[in-house]
Amino acid sequence: MNDGWLALIQQALSLLFSLDPEVWSIVSVSFSVSFAALAITLIPSLILGFILAFGRFPGRWLVTNLIQTLQSIPTVVIGLLVYLMLTRMGPLGDLKWLFTQKGMILGQMLICAPVLVAMSQAAFTSVDRRAWETSRTLGASWARAVWTVCRELKVPLLMAIVAAFSRILTEVGCSMMVGGNIADVTRNIPTAIALETSKGDFAQAIALGLVLLILSLVLNFTLGTLRGKAEPRSH
Amino acid sequence: MVKLTADNIEMRFGERLLYRFQHLSLAQNQTIHLQGDNGSGKTTLMKMFAGLIAPSSGEINIQGADSLPWWRRNPLLGKAVYLHQHPYLFEGSVAANLSYVHSLCEGDKATIMARTEQAAKLAQLDHLMQQNAANLSGGERQRLAIARAWIMQPKLLMLDEPTSNMDKLSQELVLTLIKDLQKQGTGMLISSHQACVLTQLCNQMWKIEQQGLTSTQHTPTMAKYSNTGQSQEFSYVTAS
Repeated sequence: MNDGWLALIQQALSLLFSLDPEVWSIVSVSFSVSFAALAITLIPSLILGFILAFGRFPGRWLVTNLIQTLQSIPTVVIGLLVYLMLTRMGPLGDLKWLFTQKGMILGQMLICAPVLVAMSQAAFTSVDRRAWETSRTLGASWARAVWTVCRELKVPLLMAIVAAFSRILTEVGCSMMVGGNIADVTRNIPTAIALETSKGDFAQAIALGLVLLILSLVLNFTLGTLRGKAEPRSH
Repeated sequence: MVKLTADNIEMRFGERLLYRFQHLSLAQNQTIHLQGDNGSGKTTLMKMFAGLIAPSSGEINIQGADSLPWWRRNPLLGKAVYLHQHPYLFEGSVAANLSYVHSLCEGDKATIMARTEQAAKLAQLDHLMQQNAANLSGGERQRLAIARAWIMQPKLLMLDEPTSNMDKLSQELVLTLIKDLQKQGTGMLISSHQACVLTQLCNQMWKIEQQGLTSTQHTPTMAKYSNTGQSQEFSYVTAS
């Protein structure tokens, strides 16, 4: 590693630790938008995952496949779709959400919901059916039985949440198109990294990249600890 | 008195008819031995009575149970408790598994806590309370599941092959818990394809054979379980 690289990393760390307002404003936009999108999507997605895993109804196969397909749609295509919906001529044009955080939240909801539904469906499908039956036969209400099953599946469900959050926190395409990368309003970590790199301001891009890296390490270590604590099950 | 009645029941899996029967009832103070070969549908019948699965046709009703709020549509759930052959224990300690039913029990908190302590003692699990339930042996798991149900003092209880793969000590402890429930008036349906330590408590037998179900009043004449730990066949005399 040459001196130029070291100097860049030093600058990046200095930006982070000196609480540079521009850097932390970008981090704040990123987290507030992604947390809001995840919070709104979480419960309905888990319920849909549960219904798709346990329910038997016509069209279940179709919905499952549709959600699997939505997972692999590039975020830029979702960005385009949301842009077309929010543009003045679009069906949601009256909301005036284009180039606002609300628009970004809508886009990120569409990106994170299929991941949450598909991964939670897989988790619920893998659950031992006796967990549900035991809870119900002991007299638990439907809601408590669902909660019990979720607790039994806390590791795979947390993995689904982490995967969905990672996907929206790091996506560029949709945020760039719908948010417009406006400083202090819609500029989040990935769009800022793209912008600063194109400008040649690598220090800020590295500082923001480090935030994502640290977050990723924290989340994965937490999950690893939880997974390690879970005892293997026997009959 | 809580009584469960099943009328004009037919159970099919696809085209395959498991059984059909006209009428059966399970009430408090009854202890019934459910017999049938492997795959004859004993578990299915018990799950049906517990409200966990619906019959292909026919009706199962419960009388004498408290009326349920509108959001609890299935009146059988929680009234007729079903225990799996291989019981499911929730993630966490033995104590956490026992306390799972606290909010589902009737009675004040002090009584429930006292009952929990007593259940742990009767099942000889009191020294394992903080141990992770996943680390218990087969017999301990079964004892924990029965102790959990014992705390609830259910009106009706269904035990699916409860003593299979159990050592002598576990069988004796389970017998103590089940005898106590019987004394309290719990109606029980005990499935076992052969006579075991618990079937000596039964005063009636249901037998699944030839896609039908026969019910007979029985008095076990050799109602003594061999303490060698091995099960023996009992002779039954049909009550006239």
